[in-house]
Amino acid sequence: MAILELNKVRKTFGAGRTQVEAMKQTNFRAEKGELIAIIGPSGSGKSTFLTIAGGLQTPTEGEVVINGAPMTRLKEKKRAKLRLKEVGFVLQASNLVPFLNIQQQMQLLDKVKKDNMKQEEAQQLYQSLGIEHLLGHFPKDLSGGERQRVAIAKALYTNPSVILADEPTASLDSDRAFEVMDMIKGITKEKQTATIVVTHDTRLIDDCDKVYQITDGEMTHQ
Amino acid sequence: MFLAWNEIKNNKLRFILVIGVLMLVSYLVFFLSGLANGLEQLNREAVDKWEADGIILTEESDLRLPQSLLAEDDFAGEGAADYTALAQLSAIANNGDQKANVFIFAVNDESFIMPNVTEGEVFTELGEVIADDTLKEEGFALGDELTLSSTEETVQIVGFTDKARFHAAPVLFTGFDTLDLLRYGEGTGGESEAVNAFVIRGDHLDQIQVDDELQVVSTNTFIENLPGYTEQNLTLTLMIYFLFVISAVVLAIFLYVLTIQKVSMFGVMKAQGVSSSYLACSVIAQTFLLSLAGVLIGFILTMITSIFLPTSVPIAFQYIEMLIYGVILMAVSMMGAFISVQTIVRIDPLKAIGG
Repeated sequence: MAILELNKVRKTFGAGRTQVEAMKQTNFRAEKGELIAIIGPSGSGKSTFLTIAGGLQTPTEGEVVINGAPMTRLKEKKRAKLRLKEVGFVLQASNLVPFLNIQQQMQLLDKVKKDNMKQEEAQQLYQSLGIEHLLGHFPKDLSGGERQRVAIAKALYTNPSVILADEPTASLDSDRAFEVMDMIKGITKEKQTATIVVTHDTRLIDDCDKVYQITDGEMTHQ
Repeated sequence: MFLAWNEIKNNKLRFILVIGVLMLVSYLVFFLSGLANGLEQLNREAVDKWEADGIILTEESDLRLPQSLLAEDDFAGEGAADYTALAQLSAIANNGDQKANVFIFAVNDESFIMPNVTEGEVFTELGEVIADDTLKEEGFALGDELTLSSTEETVQIVGFTDKARFHAAPVLFTGFDTLDLLRYGEGTGGESEAVNAFVIRGDHLDQIQVDDELQVVSTNTFIENLPGYTEQNLTLTLMIYFLFVISAVVLAIFLYVLTIQKVSMFGVMKAQGVSSSYLACSVIAQTFLLSLAGVLIGFILTMITSIFLPTSVPIAFQYIEMLIYGVILMAVSMMGAFISVQTIVRIDPLKAIGG
């Protein structure tokens, strides 16, 4: 069953002669337990795709459906709720709150949403990401790679059905990058999430179930 | 609260500055309100002590006690629960060392405006007075013989009473016979009928019948018409109100700058689905904590300062009023936070994450 569906989605910016087509008409489906890589040069529309899929912006045409809910037709408040419930973001910019330690970052999620990971489950997650010794630290005390791993933990902590990761391995060395990719794959299979990873690191795509290429807003299956 | 509190804990200096500003503003508000009260009491405590409802003065006096001259039999108590005559004289009293500006009130020793004696005894003989006890602090004592500026006669302090200042001067209470002596000198002999006012108790001032030349006013109206009283009160009240506005603006600016710094953080949180209302509540909760701390510290500072103030500073605290002012300060601070709340609501998560 498709967890994430994009039906005839198109996105344009501006109007008239200055109109830019950031995303040509696209149909896209992601199933449970699928790990999908989206590759393409910068400026090709990868981020646009990701933000539309995650409900951060609305498409000019077409419809996004997440786990049966028509994301595109919802008001911002409902969209935010749906994002919280269904989508886990791993963003390029560190999505950590500077004045909360790692443990508290997760506590904050507990405050705004129910049904997050249980204690043992979370411990397992921290161990597999190698951050279990960092729980009392603040983001400023972590290295870029550690921060990225915490960001991944944070995205997974809410048990989302869709994980959208924007360059999750960008600030990691090769070994760590492969490790993290393996982990993401493991979680995708174990939790039966639909995981979409935007990357330009083509070494990482071998593990993926499907690979799409975006060039100038046009998405093609590889 | 979770976000609010943790942020405060981890950015102590920043928030101590905010609390510091609020503390100074609330310190000033509490101090001014104490000063306003003190100055009010300086003018009215003798009148308040009567627990009277109204006062009868002549129409032409423009509510000034010294200018109101009427006869003892001008009013016979129609419509009043109780009434008594009051005569006054203002003078400079001198005990040889000290001079003081005083009001001399002649009262009937059986009337309800007769003061209680806290030290010494009541006046019985001609020339004896009961003095307000602030005169003690100025260097006057029991048994002092006072010469007065407007007469050759002298009076003697035989007793002290508390809370008896009128129009910023202490009051000497005495009998009508003594006042007559002071006013007219020896030889007129106790048959005078001139008084300055009648003090009335009674719930229905409007039902009191008086001649056309007389008017009945409430004691409050009477006090408000003391020269300078209303002006001085308005000035201080205006300052207090301005401070409310200032604290709202200052806090709004502070919080706004802090919020602007956190736009991308809020944006990321919104992208994850944390609702604007949760973030807004966090800012409001933070403002609440900061303003509570500021107001409390300001209050404590005011109390400490008041211990060290010389007695010549007329300061008097009304705790209920201070509580109200404290609550208002906190409320306007929270209003200042609403600008930040609006900013948070308008943050576009997409822009914040640079997508």
